[in-house]
Amino acid sequence: MVKTSTAIQINNLSFAYGAKQVLHDVSLEIPARQVTAFIGPSGCGKSTLLRCFNRINDRIPGAKLTAGSILVHDIDINRTDIDLQELRRRIGMVFQKYNPFAKSIYDNVAFSLRAAGRTKRSVLDGIVENALKNAALWDEVKSRLHASAFGLSGGQQQRLCIARAIANQPEILLMDEPCAALDPLATLKIEELLSELKKQYTIIIVTHNLAQATRCSDNTAFMYLGKVIEYGSTMQLFENPKEPQTEAYVTGKFG
Amino acid sequence: MNQQHIFRDFDKAIEALKGEVLTMAGLTRQNLERAMRSLLERDIDLARSVIADDADVDDLERQIDQSGIDILVRFHPVASDLRLVITSMKMAHNLERISDHAVNIAKRSKKICKSTMVEDASLTEPLYSLADKLLRDALMAYTDANVTLGEGLKVRDKELDQLHKQMIASLSARLEDSNGRSENLLHLIFVARSIERIGDLAVNIGEDAVFLGEARDIRHEHRRNSAEEGESPVS
Repeated sequence: MVKTSTAIQINNLSFAYGAKQVLHDVSLEIPARQVTAFIGPSGCGKSTLLRCFNRINDRIPGAKLTAGSILVHDIDINRTDIDLQELRRRIGMVFQKYNPFAKSIYDNVAFSLRAAGRTKRSVLDGIVENALKNAALWDEVKSRLHASAFGLSGGQQQRLCIARAIANQPEILLMDEPCAALDPLATLKIEELLSELKKQYTIIIVTHNLAQATRCSDNTAFMYLGKVIEYGSTMQLFENPKEPQTEAYVTGKFG
Repeated sequence: MNQQHIFRDFDKAIEALKGEVLTMAGLTRQNLERAMRSLLERDIDLARSVIADDADVDDLERQIDQSGIDILVRFHPVASDLRLVITSMKMAHNLERISDHAVNIAKRSKKICKSTMVEDASLTEPLYSLADKLLRDALMAYTDANVTLGEGLKVRDKELDQLHKQMIASLSARLEDSNGRSENLLHLIFVARSIERIGDLAVNIGEDAVFLGEARDIRHEHRRNSAEEGESPVS
């Protein structure tokens, strides 16, 4: 694995939904400004782990961290004095189903900025344009910024959601199967975008698409039954996995 | 690991590819054996059939490449599956070259058979015997992904090289005293050269078997290690 500075340090993390333990003693170091993929069968805990990083699991009744810690740039994000709004600004999220607000393209991107009290039009214009450019959407929407976001194609709506996330200038982008609802070409556009975005952001992507993990991630963690079975460079994991369970999963021999 | 793929067509395609490689390996080894027998027994018809049957080996090489490409496109293999496809395609290439050497031997054999001069072709027999053992073990290393067997071939090939060198020296000495019967001796020198090359190709197959089993690339390892040792330390 190419070693750079660590963006997220997960130490012996265990997590439960009520009585059901879903993550067991997970330890990982997520490098900064790289794409890290989480793969594994449904129910293995990869989305739960992803959602621990910005604590949106907190909203689920009974969900709790039962052991361990998560440090984001050396700060324990489960401290009681953590400002959750600030945490979620620093750690943006893009979901499987694109979910723009019922607003214009411009207002979608400007929404969280306005909520944070940044209302000066000239400032907003610059940030919106920059976010849309970074999400590789600007050229396609610059002439209709005030049209409804719902008029965009699925792939465009997902890139709008990415623009909305990066308008907050986060440090980390969490992506939970961001291409699951997209066609192959829209998927490739998002993957191409990831290779650009990782120059500025740390990206963690949950995907069921193994070919996607090989194409666009630098590191991959294979999870099974709430544990990280193997974690390493993507090329190593797909060319020569060390663990028999990883080999069985990536070659499609898992029952 | 003998688990099956969830997608059964993938298993079928992999098994078919392995079957094609084993068929090609069998034909190649048979061609070599018949080429040598034609030489040792002065059997010109056998030499002719070796030359004709090389087309089957060529066809199988193309078939294996096509099957490998089909699997890459259709199933996107990774890990040991990917290594098996890559190794099988490389194996087909090496086998095709071995069969070409068998054809070279058969062509020389034909010429020797047509000659009235009797030359001691049995001189090549120990060399062939050693090369055939290397080839047999290389094929077994591939079939079983036997890393130890594959890795050991390089050292064993040095023995073949040594024997080849001795044989060339002996034939060259005879050549000097040949008194007009040099043509057959030259043919035997070329036969020996082909057998020595077959040993090298068996080593290549053994190296590929190591890659298949452990994803380790041992090609030119000695040279690479020497280069690393020779590097001046960074202060």
